[in-house]
Amino acid sequence: MTEDDDLKTFFSRGIEQNMDALYGTALRLAGTGADAEDLVAESVAKAWSAIATLEDRQKFRPWVFRILHNCFISKYRREIARPAESGFEENDEEALASLLNDQPDDFLVWWANPERQFFNNMLGSAIMAAINDLPDSFRMTIILVNVEGLTYDEAAEALGVPPGTIRSRMKRGRTMLQKALWAQARDAGFTKPTNNYGHAT
Amino acid sequence: MNSDKTGHDHDDIGCLQAIEAFYAYLDGELSDPGAIEDFEHHMSHCRSCFSRAEVERLLNERMQESGTSKAPDELRSRVRRLMDEF
Repeated sequence: MTEDDDLKTFFSRGIEQNMDALYGTALRLAGTGADAEDLVAESVAKAWSAIATLEDRQKFRPWVFRILHNCFISKYRREIARPAESGFEENDEEALASLLNDQPDDFLVWWANPERQFFNNMLGSAIMAAINDLPDSFRMTIILVNVEGLTYDEAAEALGVPPGTIRSRMKRGRTMLQKALWAQARDAGFTKPTNNYGHAT
Repeated sequence: MNSDKTGHDHDDIGCLQAIEAFYAYLDGELSDPGAIEDFEHHMSHCRSCFSRAEVERLLNERMQESGTSKAPDELRSRVRRLMDEF
């Protein structure tokens, strides 16, 4: 087997192994199955043409996700209206404290003791809809880590940011997600009234 | 002693620091043994944070169940044809 054949076999195997995850991520980014398929196909072509930039074969997964993300940004993002970025990238406790202090008391109480019935009945589609409403950077981070199972280091490589940024995005993004789910629970009449001590009455 | 907005009192590591480590712990990304010990100790005596962690675990499970997708056969064939041309 020549060196080219070996590289092509490695590449094909890597694409096959990650096909479901690439398609799932593309679907969350592009919004429709047809656009997701186009995005994956374009990313595969771009990845092969850029194979020389893959310095470590162990990092194929984050490398190919990064190409998918860059393809989405350059081609599809302009066509899809997305929530504005919040500009929150700090990784310090003060920023987190500020974030939590900005939350309504009812939300913090609910987060500590949500109605199990609400979570048990909650449709997966409702969770994914809440994720889809997050700003791009948080949505992408949560999808890569919590849905597709990338490590923080892999997600950082895929998105071209430091690992500390992934940590802060996880905290911020998950808090935003919780808040969206709290709003769903409240609108569905699930949230219980609370007394001044935060306990359900 | 610190008091958070839910009215619960905590000492030492505190809820804010526990929440700071929440997702790293749940996602298996907290590697410092001391930090893991502090977090688990806090979870052992703070009902609010323990309950929050349980909710987050449940949410993680639901996201994995409902968020993963299977690539259509048409896409697999399309990509195979594409790679045959490389």
